[in-house]
Amino acid sequence: MRKSIALLLIVSLLSVSVVFAAGTKESSSSDGKIHLRSYMQIEPTNSQYAGHNAIMAGFAEKYPDIIIDTEYASGEAFHQKFQAMAASKQMPDIFTVYGGARTAYITEAGLALDIGKEYLTDDIKNQYSSATWGTQGTNGEYWMIPPSLAVCHVVYSNDQLLEKLGLSFPATYEEWLAQVSVIRSAGYYPVSMGNKDPWVVNSWLLSLLVDRLGGPDWFMKAARGEGASFTDTPFVRSLQIIKEMTEKGMFSPGVNQMSNTEADQEFYQGKSVYLIDAGWRTSAMDKDLPSDLKESISMHVFPALQGEVTTNTSTATVSEGFGISASIKGTAKADAAWKFIQYYNGQEGASIRAQYGEVPTYKLDLSQVKMSTMQAKFASFQSEHEMGYVFDAVMGGEGVSMLNEDIQAMMLGNGDPSEIAADYETFVSKNDFNRL
Amino acid sequence: MVQDKSKHRAYLSLLLPAFLVYVLIILYPILMSLGLSFTKWRHFKMVGFVGLENYVAILTDPSFQKSMWNNVQIMLVSVLGQIPLGIMLAYLIFRQWVKHTKFFEMMIFLPITISSVVVALLWNRVFSPVGIYTSLIRTITDNPDYVVKIFENRTFAMVPILVVLLWQHTSLYMVIFLANLQRIPESVFEAATLDGAKEFTIIRSIVLPQLANVIFTCSVLAISGSLKSFDLVFAMTSGGPVDYTSVMALYLYKQTFTFNNYGYGSAVSIIIVLLSVGLITFVRYVYAKAQRKYE
Repeated sequence: MRKSIALLLIVSLLSVSVVFAAGTKESSSSDGKIHLRSYMQIEPTNSQYAGHNAIMAGFAEKYPDIIIDTEYASGEAFHQKFQAMAASKQMPDIFTVYGGARTAYITEAGLALDIGKEYLTDDIKNQYSSATWGTQGTNGEYWMIPPSLAVCHVVYSNDQLLEKLGLSFPATYEEWLAQVSVIRSAGYYPVSMGNKDPWVVNSWLLSLLVDRLGGPDWFMKAARGEGASFTDTPFVRSLQIIKEMTEKGMFSPGVNQMSNTEADQEFYQGKSVYLIDAGWRTSAMDKDLPSDLKESISMHVFPALQGEVTTNTSTATVSEGFGISASIKGTAKADAAWKFIQYYNGQEGASIRAQYGEVPTYKLDLSQVKMSTMQAKFASFQSEHEMGYVFDAVMGGEGVSMLNEDIQAMMLGNGDPSEIAADYETFVSKNDFNRL
Repeated sequence: MVQDKSKHRAYLSLLLPAFLVYVLIILYPILMSLGLSFTKWRHFKMVGFVGLENYVAILTDPSFQKSMWNNVQIMLVSVLGQIPLGIMLAYLIFRQWVKHTKFFEMMIFLPITISSVVVALLWNRVFSPVGIYTSLIRTITDNPDYVVKIFENRTFAMVPILVVLLWQHTSLYMVIFLANLQRIPESVFEAATLDGAKEFTIIRSIVLPQLANVIFTCSVLAISGSLKSFDLVFAMTSGGPVDYTSVMALYLYKQTFTFNNYGYGSAVSIIIVLLSVGLITFVRYVYAKAQRKYE
């Protein structure tokens, strides 16, 4: 009997070992090639990432001795798995990493290599636009080279509709408000924006308003609690403007029930005159819209506001890029990973991405690149407007999430701007990493 | 005696793998969560022991209270809606009070076979501001601003989700009750009818006592299922707008995986476990009392 029990235990343990000992593929194989494991927040089947796919193919062709085994994921699923990888110390060699707090679970845990110390030289830095080199790590570390700028505020207008209504793009906010009755009486909605996911109003509108009314100096002081706070006029007034826009019927009905995609569709179908969205929407527009509609869409920024301290600005943050695992520091694998990152972000990768509609941070003569309709408009938009900060790229996620819900409640008639500002200030002063 | 011991050991050895799995998969995580619930974490690093601070913060957080209330609503709809409706539909089909019972059986059972995510997408497609229903009403009423306002109402935003849950899960209970009704001998109904029993008497004195065990099991399933509701709510509204349709599992998910508050999230999970155990114990108590009454 004892023998049977012992045998049963051994068999059970061996079975468990077999199940859990799946392991990972050997990274350096006998074929003499360097094998890298990568984990990227990209959807390769999405047409927005056609440029990425072309770069991967180009790199494989140029560097046949470096094999990149890539796993893709997107959205929350990407972060969940990445956190699990970090917790189990199964870090990929190359991975998507953010300059801000979004992947702090990797960067603050010391799992990403400081490429600023290991590889970046002034010569390399000079090849990129100055906006590329904003702060990433709290101690001056650089985790990645941002491949492009994520422009988070654009007011798209349907010029055919504007012309039909006898209107033109407003110069001031007051003029814009005055257009609401004209547009509505003609049976159209003034502005489409999908705030079902409540970060949208924060990223695409609040950031712009706060930047315009407070400016970057005030904002950084408020973020750090050094002589300014979120109960100050710029922040409260920004919330008031959002409330006013909602109450005066500027947004299409159900703005808080509508997803981004649904808001885009509403604008594309000619039901609304304006669309507030991000700059990267131009890729989808290029792919999905008929040429006459593309021709009639213009890109603007929010009209002038009374008392604004910056004018004609949009907002942008550096996009996420590729980092290297700290665990392979000083090895041939790290050098191979750096080769890939340079290829992706540098002259070759930037040229490919530009052809597919991205405006890279690498200093590239875009006049030499054949651009599609909306991409040409986007490139011109970026050259015409200074970029302010994106609020939720600077402030901590938990507070921003609370703020987003409060803004959504306010838009539904259940909140007051001053109270929301006071609640947010209280939360930030106790919890936000900018203050701690 | 020796044979008994030997039997005893054999039983133990057969139980061992299941017991090990239970310890590793159920007991160990719960105990780990309990330990973690007294700590504060930041990016995979425990930064300190905080005692009951997490529990106090959770129970005084209006967002958690709202989520818990939403779970209570789901539970009420499950126990007082899905189960009675399931019994009614099963009895209707069992007594063949409608024609084409097989067809109705299949139609009623259909929703449970569809993934919750698909169900959520379908409902969103119909009722969103650009959905079919909304567009239709806008055209009929000539009101371009029409939207389904209930989705934006703090008090009633859960109603559409409750309706979907009722529609989707009643069928499961119907099938369970129907299977059990078919086990009651036909002669019992015939005898009751010959004795002049009215339909209500048959249901009260024959059907319900016969189904008592199943009703108890279904109640346990409904309560535990209600407290862990996640997929449909996540796919339909993600807890929004604001936190109007948030549930405890969504609150837990956000705290743990979005804000990386592992200690706080663990405390939420412990509260959910305690609520489940408490409620199921209560149902057992009610069931035992009811059983004694019928005995």
